[in-house]
Amino acid sequence: MSTTEPQTTAGESSQKGEPLLVVKNLKKYFPIKKGILFDRTVDYVKAVDDVSFEIYPGKTLGLVGESGSGKSTTGYCVLELLKPTAGSVRFLGEELTTMKKEELRRMRREMQIVFQDPYASLNPRMTVGNIVAEPLVVHKVGSGARRRKTVEELLEVVGFNPDFVNRYPHEFSGGQRQRIGIARALALNPRLIVCDEPVSALDVSIQAQILNLLKDLQGEFGLTYLFVAHDLAVVRTMSDDIAVMNKGKIVEAGPAERVYTQPQDDYTKALLAAVPVPDPHRMRERKEERRKHKHALAEAL
Amino acid sequence: MALLEVEDLRTHFKTREGEVHAVDGVSFEVEEGSVLGIVGESGCGKSVTSLSIMGLVQPPGRVVSGSIRFEDRELTTMSDKDLEDVRGKQIAMIFQDPMTSLNPTLTIGTQITETIRRHLGLSKADAEKRAVSLLEEVHIPDAKRRLRDYPHRFSGGMRQRVMIAMALSCSPKLLIADEPTTALDVTVQAGVLETLDELRRDHGMTMIIISHNMGVIAETAEQVLVMYAGQIVEQASVTDLFDRPEHPYTEALLGSLPKIDDHDPRNDRLATIPGRPPDLLTPPDGCRFAARCKYAGMDSCAAEPPQLREIRTGHWVRSQHPASERSAEPVGAR
Amino acid sequence: MSEPDLATETPPRKGPLGLERPFLQRRAEFEEALARNASARGAEAGASLPRASLWGDAFHRFMKNKASVVAAIAFLLLLAFVIFVPWLSNEDPYALDFSQAYQPPSWAHPFGTDGFGRDLLVRTALGGRVSFAIGFAATFAIMVVGIVYGATAGFLGGHVDNALMRFLDALYGLPYLPFAIMTLAVFGTVNFWTMVVALTIASWFTTARVMRGQIFTLKQNDYVRAAYAVGAKGPRVLYRHLLVNTLGVIIVFVFLELPGVILGEAFLSFLGLGINPPKASWGTLAQDGYTAYQAHPYIIVIPSICIAWLILSAFFIADGLRDALDPRTKET
Repeated sequence: MSTTEPQTTAGESSQKGEPLLVVKNLKKYFPIKKGILFDRTVDYVKAVDDVSFEIYPGKTLGLVGESGSGKSTTGYCVLELLKPTAGSVRFLGEELTTMKKEELRRMRREMQIVFQDPYASLNPRMTVGNIVAEPLVVHKVGSGARRRKTVEELLEVVGFNPDFVNRYPHEFSGGQRQRIGIARALALNPRLIVCDEPVSALDVSIQAQILNLLKDLQGEFGLTYLFVAHDLAVVRTMSDDIAVMNKGKIVEAGPAERVYTQPQDDYTKALLAAVPVPDPHRMRERKEERRKHKHALAEAL
Repeated sequence: MALLEVEDLRTHFKTREGEVHAVDGVSFEVEEGSVLGIVGESGCGKSVTSLSIMGLVQPPGRVVSGSIRFEDRELTTMSDKDLEDVRGKQIAMIFQDPMTSLNPTLTIGTQITETIRRHLGLSKADAEKRAVSLLEEVHIPDAKRRLRDYPHRFSGGMRQRVMIAMALSCSPKLLIADEPTTALDVTVQAGVLETLDELRRDHGMTMIIISHNMGVIAETAEQVLVMYAGQIVEQASVTDLFDRPEHPYTEALLGSLPKIDDHDPRNDRLATIPGRPPDLLTPPDGCRFAARCKYAGMDSCAAEPPQLREIRTGHWVRSQHPASERSAEPVGAR
Repeated sequence: MSEPDLATETPPRKGPLGLERPFLQRRAEFEEALARNASARGAEAGASLPRASLWGDAFHRFMKNKASVVAAIAFLLLLAFVIFVPWLSNEDPYALDFSQAYQPPSWAHPFGTDGFGRDLLVRTALGGRVSFAIGFAATFAIMVVGIVYGATAGFLGGHVDNALMRFLDALYGLPYLPFAIMTLAVFGTVNFWTMVVALTIASWFTTARVMRGQIFTLKQNDYVRAAYAVGAKGPRVLYRHLLVNTLGVIIVFVFLELPGVILGEAFLSFLGLGINPPKASWGTLAQDGYTAYQAHPYIIVIPSICIAWLILSAFFIADGLRDALDPRTKET
């Protein structure tokens, strides 16, 4: 199991100055409590166990792993939506973990998130317009007509018909709701967007649409992405660099091309072998690959 | 005579806004011992098709017309009692979500032996013996002890294996697997699919596997049906389908898949299919894919529904513009 | 730029790394993106197909439930009865006329007269007003206390939640009626307000518990996380994202608590702790009729029927509402 140093994570990517986000030794432990009247902490679930990486401006780091690997938790910790147990998160040169509440709130303008579930990430009792406008309202940006115009423009940019600002989320399909979520994330023109499995809940043909959209937006707005997903093919198409997570740790990291074509770690190899490939001619070869890496795939109970 | 023959199956759902034509004229045959894959996106009708075969369609849905013949017996006209005998014993089904398919208040042992005793009339002791051997077949370690465990003590992959064991308990002739690995991690998925394959060969079972994942279909199926908007739009052997897809939808679907072994995919855009599937309340008159098709001519595509025709031996397609008949550029890039 | 600029209202951060992008460039990027790709993307996404509305859906489901519709009509009829009858009637409900005492129901007095010769039709209607008023007021009070308590516990979570809920568990042990009686005794007099307090004091527990559960569950939703991610503060999240989504539950609970309160008032009145005469409620009317039950059953029967009518209709409405507002799996 090789864990590469953070410095080589973005090795081959051209380095324009300093990294936008530097995460060092991030830990998130969830206490397991037992007891009748008073809860005692008996053990910890080590969801994120000493994770470090860097992301340079305009790049995408793909954080890939299976369920329980800690990838989503990492994303939430970076945004301080979950308080890290230990470690450092430096964003735009400032330490987020020790920031005061108000300061953090203002920082939130620069870092946003797109959620996985298009059905749960939008308040069913708010109109599309209000949902997208919420960031503007909360940070007191603009007012009235100016806000409305911005909301309409945002919806247009993500390919959602702005005529429907007064409709409710449940009236739309998964792909469209995801677009609403993306528009909300863009509202304050952030620099970093954490994409937490943004296409996992969507149909295959819609996935392609949303992935293209995210790519385009990255180019147009100079966005930096932390792209969290379990689908290796999806992560491949989006990322410059990859970090593979297993049980809370990064087991391998490096430029995407290298990790996918020359994986070093056993788990990574097993993971890559397990993905079903839409090519029936390779079936036999793929099954052989899997058999070779079976030992790395112990099914935990 | 094929093991399963479905002819012109139509299953509709009554809703407040009208009648949804979930499955609209589906016909296919499954030969004994083969594996049929049904692929399509959500709403295409693939799950409803399998539920219709099993007689599990609940109101407000119902099988409106069509014939389903299993071993030359007509299932659509069977009494509920007879159907219950067929279900579980001759045709078994495993579902997508192992979390909700198992009763959380009963032990695994109870659930498996219940099925066995219902269909095979074995004594409790014999049923338990059989249950243990089934669990071992699906590679669940320490099977005898695990019989006493409740579902929540099993991981997702294990639960799916238990489901498979239950499905196999009465040695069914046909197994329908509806998105069996969609809810599982990719490494677990590989294991479960391998087990399924192994068992299928050992028991000489026929299998229908339903999935939206083209990769799973490519590695599991022998024959493939592609469904769209309640109809079959393409049918072929698995190699022929992936090598030379004919229907514009199939082509587009394959083209929109992010590849794991692409070279420098970072700067490429994925091919997308613009728009969304049609509303099945009032299906379009003509070709259902016309609105999103690159090759749709303004002429007949939107007006006349294309029929399923054999374009090559064993390869059927429902389109006026299949790949091998296309000469020029796409008519209108939509 | 003629209009106030989005970018100018968010001054760029002056970080030590010099990473801030100039205002104008950001704005230009935005407009460029719009011009270039918006229409193509919109076409790619396809038409947005808006479908039925949330409340509309619920309304239809409610209407399909025959029992609920009948119950709703019954409830409204009863409400109409108590509102309009005293208004339209010429009878003086307080006039004593012993010559007319104990008249059984007739055309002149459809509900008969009581021991004092007062017309019972109007008295019942007036009594109904009092019962309804107490009922709604107490229900409102229960809702307020229960929601505040439960939402606070659910929202704050952790130790506060623990403490509040354990305390609530202890309170559950309090017997409802004896407490109501004690409260009335403490006040010394029984009028509208004391009755409302007495009925509320030991009835808000279930509401609190349910609200706490609701808030707790709703907190797990991604859209709540999203609100925090966007920078919203606690109170906004509590109100805009959590409470608003409990409306359905609250409405159902109103119709569940109402019968309990009405029955409670009736019971207290029957025990003699009812509202002071000459004001009457259905409970006190029933109590009046108790002594003359053998000879003149209608005096007790009629208000009892009214109470039962109200309770049954409210329950069935609550049932129907619960089913109607249940987020079912959508047909895709």
